[in-house]
Amino acid sequence: MKADKEAQRAGRGIRQSMSGLHTWAGLLLGWVLYAMFLTGTVSYFKDELSQWTRPELARLSQVPDQAAVAQRIADELGNVAAGSSQWSIRLPDGRNNSVYAFWRTRGQGQRAFGEANFDPTTGQKISSRETLGGEFFFRFHFQLHYLPVVWGRWIAGIAAMFMLVAIISGVITHKRIFVDFFTFRWGKGQRSWLEAHNALSVFGLPFHFMITYTGLVTLMALYMPWGENAAFKTPAERQQMTSELSVFIQPGKPSGQSAPLASVEDMVRQAQERWGKGNVGRVTFVHPGDAAARVAVARGEAGRVSMSPQYMEFEGTTGKLLNVRDSVGAAAETRGVLYALHLGRFSDTQTRWLYFLVSFMGTAMVGTGLVMWTVKRRSRLRDPERPHFGFRLVERLNIASIVGLSIAMTAFLWANRLLPHPMEARADWEIHAFFAVWALTLLHALLRPAKAAWIEQFWTAAALLFLLPVLNALTTQRPLWHSLAQGDWVFAGIDVTCWALALLHVVLAVRTARNRSIVQSKRMPQVPVAIASSGAAE
Amino acid sequence: MIHLLALGLCLAGFAALAFATHRQQRDIFGKALPRVTTYGLRAAGAGVLLLALGILVAAKSWSVGLVIFSGHTTMAAAIVFCALIGWGRLAARTARRRQNDARVRSVTRR
Repeated sequence: MKADKEAQRAGRGIRQSMSGLHTWAGLLLGWVLYAMFLTGTVSYFKDELSQWTRPELARLSQVPDQAAVAQRIADELGNVAAGSSQWSIRLPDGRNNSVYAFWRTRGQGQRAFGEANFDPTTGQKISSRETLGGEFFFRFHFQLHYLPVVWGRWIAGIAAMFMLVAIISGVITHKRIFVDFFTFRWGKGQRSWLEAHNALSVFGLPFHFMITYTGLVTLMALYMPWGENAAFKTPAERQQMTSELSVFIQPGKPSGQSAPLASVEDMVRQAQERWGKGNVGRVTFVHPGDAAARVAVARGEAGRVSMSPQYMEFEGTTGKLLNVRDSVGAAAETRGVLYALHLGRFSDTQTRWLYFLVSFMGTAMVGTGLVMWTVKRRSRLRDPERPHFGFRLVERLNIASIVGLSIAMTAFLWANRLLPHPMEARADWEIHAFFAVWALTLLHALLRPAKAAWIEQFWTAAALLFLLPVLNALTTQRPLWHSLAQGDWVFAGIDVTCWALALLHVVLAVRTARNRSIVQSKRMPQVPVAIASSGAAE
Repeated sequence: MIHLLALGLCLAGFAALAFATHRQQRDIFGKALPRVTTYGLRAAGAGVLLLALGILVAAKSWSVGLVIFSGHTTMAAAIVFCALIGWGRLAARTARRRQNDARVRSVTRR
């Protein structure tokens, strides 16, 4: 017994310091991490959200022949983007009902390119409402907004580093989580928060670790450029590196002689023979319309846990196959696999849902962690009626960054349906609406008593989510009953998911209301302040 | 289909592993199970999980199979965990009711 106690005391040193590290690393970046986690979670359905935000675009009941579509769009780009030095086309697949293309333009500066969505069946530009769609959540998730992109990415990277620190220190702090894998004590105040937080962390631990680490890998060239800079000095070396990381055609000089492109359809057919019928991703053209044109047809992402480039390169004017890239070096492939694991684009629908649900658990883990900071300290407050400034700040920021984000994200979708179309800078205004509503939730959280603010915001989020399918039915030609009758699972799925999320917010609102009243009636029971480890309390 | 099968196997595996812990045995059966049973449950749980992995890898390749396996084990563990909480609360409620009934009965007898 005595020896046990001494061993415990010795062990507590490191665990206590890890506990402190876990608490503060988690708190300081927790708000950013929560936002990154939640917007990242919904980004697993980025393409579906993009479809939903462009209701004018008809659903494709089956994936059109990619080869024919590639030809159609290349012909159209010949008109729209004549004289451009590069085009790139993303072909439609099971999850995209439009063809996205971008092309370089002659202008100088940052935005020296044009982009548009095309209808795969007609090849014409689509005149849907202007929106970033699911792309907004995706980009916000790693580069935030209203900031220079590089700053946003650095902040996201620092947050991810803190997340890694929080994960590792969390495992050390709560080392009993593995022993107590299937235990949970319900309804014991701080204890059950702790257990919920532990459970969410443990079940998702492999995922949380993977997603944080691979997230850092996706931007490693930004965070740690030194190795790359030291190893690859000449432009030729750098080009070689680029070709290991993405589809890349050696940008030769244009001949200046114009020559028509050979059949793009034939090139894509050859790629289909190699990789399967619906499994062609992008078609990239360099110097299209010039005698020196080159075309690269890249493999799609489905079923392949790697983002490493695989493509066939053709001579543009003759259609002759010049080169096939099937593999990259071991280091580049490692990066390709880690990158793919993060994005999960290889997934079928069920696997995508698994990604979504487990990532949602990660979001809840960060959320419960943030709330726990206040739950633990409330019992220690000298005067619970008038908490000190730091406590109030954390409490209010928690409200706005947790429920407030639910409200703001739903508001983005409301703005998508409510803003007039056409409208000047419409896509930007959708985003302004998101941030304006988010700011309002913070204001509300600052002005109202904390308990009331939580409950009111949960109800607001629930109402907005519940009514979104109604709004969709009123403002578009694609209400839920229509989607169900047509077998349109993208629209139906988003409508039903909104209701499920609304229900979740109702449950949270009711539980918060009930929970707080219990605490009040008991007049703040003095819970002994255990360190975060459950072991010490046992 | 393969997803359902994998999830089912993972659920069974984690349920067996949960029953192999002393705490769950005490809470659910009211006593510790014999050591042989405990080890048997542990082995069966691990075996079923490995079976799920084998099926997924055979059907989907190593890379995709491992990712899907990871997803299903996470979900299955979470579901078993929630089921145990639900069971525990239900059991506590019936126990409380029984206790109340007994108290009422003893009061009326007096």
